Amino acid sequence: MATKARERIERPSRETAQQASSGNGAEPLSAELLKRLYSYMLKCRTVEERARVLFKQGKFAGNYYAAVGQEATEVGCSIDLEEQDCIAPSHRDFISHIMKGTPLKFMFAQLYARKTSPDQGRSSPAHCGYAPLNIITPASTIAAQLNIGTGVALAYKMQKKPNIVVAFSGDGSTSLGSWHEALNFAGVARLPIVYVVQNNLWAESVSVKLQTAVEDLSVKAQAYGFPGVTVDGNDVVEVYRAAREAIHRARSGGGPTLIECKTYRWYGHSEIDPAKYRSPEEVEYWKSKDPIPNMERYLEERKLWADGWKQELTAQFNKEIDEAVEFAENSPYPEPEECLDHVYDFSIRERELNRKPWTFRNAVATPANQ
Amino acid sequence: MALSTYIEAITTGLAEEMRRDERVFIIGEDVGVMGGVFKATKGLYEEFGADRVIDSPLAEGIIISSAIGAALAGMRPVPEIQFADFVTPAMDAITQQAAKLRYRSGGTQTCPITVRICYGGGVGGGLYHSQTNTTWFIHEPGLVVVAPSTPYDAKGLLKSAIRDDNPVIYFEHKKLYRSIKEELPEEDYTVPLGKAAVRRQGHDLTAISYGYTLQLTLQAAEKMKEKGVDVEVIDLRTLSPLDKDTILESVAKTNRAVIVHEDHRTLGVGAEISAIIAEEAFDCLDAPVVRVTAPDVPAIPFSAPLEKFYMPSVEKIVTALERTTEY
Repeated sequence: MATKARERIERPSRETAQQASSGNGAEPLSAELLKRLYSYMLKCRTVEERARVLFKQGKFAGNYYAAVGQEATEVGCSIDLEEQDCIAPSHRDFISHIMKGTPLKFMFAQLYARKTSPDQGRSSPAHCGYAPLNIITPASTIAAQLNIGTGVALAYKMQKKPNIVVAFSGDGSTSLGSWHEALNFAGVARLPIVYVVQNNLWAESVSVKLQTAVEDLSVKAQAYGFPGVTVDGNDVVEVYRAAREAIHRARSGGGPTLIECKTYRWYGHSEIDPAKYRSPEEVEYWKSKDPIPNMERYLEERKLWADGWKQELTAQFNKEIDEAVEFAENSPYPEPEECLDHVYDFSIRERELNRKPWTFRNAVATPANQ
Repeated sequence: MALSTYIEAITTGLAEEMRRDERVFIIGEDVGVMGGVFKATKGLYEEFGADRVIDSPLAEGIIISSAIGAALAGMRPVPEIQFADFVTPAMDAITQQAAKLRYRSGGTQTCPITVRICYGGGVGGGLYHSQTNTTWFIHEPGLVVVAPSTPYDAKGLLKSAIRDDNPVIYFEHKKLYRSIKEELPEEDYTVPLGKAAVRRQGHDLTAISYGYTLQLTLQAAEKMKEKGVDVEVIDLRTLSPLDKDTILESVAKTNRAVIVHEDHRTLGVGAEISAIIAEEAFDCLDAPVVRVTAPDVPAIPFSAPLEKFYMPSVEKIVTALERTTEY
């Protein structure tokens, strides 16, 4: 089932997009959908570039893991999800929240580690979950989210629910044993899940050539007995078509799909990584394949583009982001003692703060906060 | 009332919970058609079918991970780890995911799973079928760790674990499976998590243990009675969070403490209990706290004399109780 991704990658994206819409008997995508794909990519880019600026300005601590350059894969794979579908994100899938519908104010509160964030200030920036929309809180342990997502898919199947899971991972994750365990089990149990590998060529500083000896990661699906497909991860239409087919397969009881999206992260692993392990030529090549202008040209060719639309969208997104940042900045930090909360379903505060003296003389026990 | 072995208590506990709550399901290696290598899940596949008694691939990581995900989505999974020795591939899932999911999500995402782990030596099982690694899990806040020592508790703690909203690690000792029997109530009952039990009242000395070595400790206490020493025996039952009050109340009464466990000595639950007593009941002590544990060797060796040397025994416990009494 794996396609020859390399050939596609070397074609200009415009051509690929045209072929994707006209070839293979695939039904054409509606104008509304095409515009929405573009609009979401632009929103993701705008949000992430703002997050990067805020981090560099010292407005929030920790780090940020931008997926700038990878918007086509994020949008194409998550735009069709229903409210009760689940996303299992990695640290670099912060923007997947946008398509699912997590309010921006909670996302920025998460970056700012405020009490108003979904995790009330516990997880690192961009490791954002959102329970009301079934977005699993990510761990930094690579591929863990695939494994938990696989369990969510098992529950959906047992509960006979129509819902599915989209589990994101990167090229580096495919080297882990737990990546294999998840896909293997999903294949055996024919679970309603779509595994999206965003192959951005670099796992932190290590080239994908040092992760695997295969050209296309999607061939691994053959070993698990379900379809694998490699697509141009910078072509949102191509990604969307693959995702739509995979989501349909999962929802209709056809089992899992592995989608490899060949793409590129423009910046380092994180904001403190200058990414000197990559050549400037390589970065420039991939920036020339920016999924957003590609889609602009695609829309222009279909007479779906209006002058001023991008500016209009950008202004609207910036307004939303301004409000979200304001919410985050005005939100309180958690109280220090909240460190002791949410360990169990019962509180350990009393136990930790008021240790009982059993000595005949006075206690020597020290409360946890002293 | 019906006479039940420890393993029958587990099997009937599982069956009753699965009848009571359709969200409860079992996943693990050989748990289905075969009914488990020790037959702990015997008959459940026949009653509940392949969808609720899942013969998983041979991969402990996904056994636990899939249970975590299923629990997050509303199920009550009871994954089985066939031998404690084989839990290591699932350690990321247990320590990084199950223990931390509630915490890292600010209480908005939880995974109420009950991980059954068969553990313990003394049966000639050899190096990779005998280990006791309870300490690994006690060291992870977010997990509840239990280890029943009687058939009554095996069933009652299992039911509490399955109904609990926290991830519970349930250690069942293979040597207890068929070596002890007890009359169990016909009606539904539970044993509370987080509560130790005083198995035997005494005023001279407190002996603290859990699981198989609790039974040895009770035998040692009987021998001490013949010598005129009255030992109070505490069954921890829940290893984390520890029931400190029951321990401290007893030590405040007896002023002496011996801790017995099959896990290694260094940083075992005995070390933690010693520290608690030292910090919170120092003035109560009339003798040093003594531990009877397995030695700090990497695993339990196979050859019979080696295994015997490794395991705590009634004789070793009696010696420790005597020394503490005479101090």
